[in-house]
Amino acid sequence: MVNRTAHGRPALRLVVAPELEPAPPSVWFCSHCGARSSTSGKLVKPPVSRVCGACGLGLLIEAAEDVAPRTGDAFLVLDRALSVCAVSHGAEQLLATREPDVVNRHVTDLLMPADAEEEAGENLSVAVAWAARGDSATRTTVVRPANTFGIRLTARIAPCGPQRAALVVLE
Amino acid sequence: MRYLKTSEAAALLNVSPNTLRAWERRFGFPKPQRSPGKHRLFTHGEVAALRDALQEGLSISSAISRAREGLAADANSLVGALVSYDRERADAAIEAALALRSVERSVEEVLLPTLDEISRRYSVESAAWAFAAHWATDWLRRAIRLTPPPVRPVSIVVGDASRDELDRDAPYIRALELFCVRAGIKVLSLSARGVAGIGDAANVHRPNLVVVAGGHLDDDTVARWAYAIRLAVGAMPLAIYRRGAERPRTRGTGTTVLPSGAGDAQRALLDLLESDHVAATPSASAAAAGARAQIRSVRGFQ
Repeated sequence: MVNRTAHGRPALRLVVAPELEPAPPSVWFCSHCGARSSTSGKLVKPPVSRVCGACGLGLLIEAAEDVAPRTGDAFLVLDRALSVCAVSHGAEQLLATREPDVVNRHVTDLLMPADAEEEAGENLSVAVAWAARGDSATRTTVVRPANTFGIRLTARIAPCGPQRAALVVLE
Repeated sequence: MRYLKTSEAAALLNVSPNTLRAWERRFGFPKPQRSPGKHRLFTHGEVAALRDALQEGLSISSAISRAREGLAADANSLVGALVSYDRERADAAIEAALALRSVERSVEEVLLPTLDEISRRYSVESAAWAFAAHWATDWLRRAIRLTPPPVRPVSIVVGDASRDELDRDAPYIRALELFCVRAGIKVLSLSARGVAGIGDAANVHRPNLVVVAGGHLDDDTVARWAYAIRLAVGAMPLAIYRRGAERPRTRGTGTTVLPSGAGDAQRALLDLLESDHVAATPSASAAAAGARAQIRSVRGFQ
């Protein structure tokens, strides 16, 4: 908003910002074991060390509380290029792989879309790309392990970070 | 080169020492060396690279991958310097590698892979290879000269059976010599072509083990050289390095085929030298009896 000084020159004036919609509560969880960092539940501060204190094999990542995985859940973290950044211990067992072997590989090396009638917005790659860009909407799609037919898994896809990435929780 | 103990490295990464050891088992990184007392010693450069990568990573694996990419940049810059025929840039690139790694790891992870890449990309008949091989041999010889005097009471004779410094095996042989000298072993390097006066050289050096390295010279020439050594100082173990056999194996005649990697070969040599069988210098009386068996073993591996 442009205001005028006593001399008639234009000047900027501070205005009260409109009420922002409160951000959904978030939690920090381990990218390997899924354990959530201990918090009181009110204000979640960034952890002092990003390395998980429970297992020591994962980094702490932040995501909305309602989509964040629980201990032992199978989930992946993907970047906007659809490359695998993290594979949880549960996903390692579910997909019969090891995180060090698949990190930086394309998601389709691990998961394939398995719903022939899905809408465009629920397409696996589209949903991951949107989430990795920070779109807060949670999407679900149906996938199967890349090397296995006959198994269908529901994937819950939501943003996480830092850095910005997509969290894919397999149910 | 700055080294960190496990507790220091763990503190820098803000994790427990047990976590650091778990990473070493699961990811193979950071890869520590061992002190004389067998304690882990981490290079500061690796730990610092990992610390920075952890700040931006989404998992330990991706952070380690990023840290490794940063460290691999040294090999790329050395390739670029050598194929540009730029000696000063090549020196700077290997210096940068040495800032993050030990001499052994700089040679194994940067210098030798760089030479392999150049020979693969341009062939060993190219000018790029000639420049790179000459620079690498010069650097390795300089590193050998700068190494403190040997401290172990063991010595080896290396019979160089490579063609010349443009031979693809030559840098590996120089690297093995460097690693052995740095491990405190007295090394006498001779061409396996010449046998004149070899007895005098062997008598002065009194080797505990003979290494025939390189695959250019024919079997008869190498066998004559080994025979001359054995006549002078008696029976002793023989090891073969980069002479066509890739799989390490041991024959009943006492000949050992060393792994093709310079670091692995040095460790295998140390094991051989430290075994009681080798520690005792062989007597000259066994010379004649063992010589023929040794020649047979050399021929048998070609």
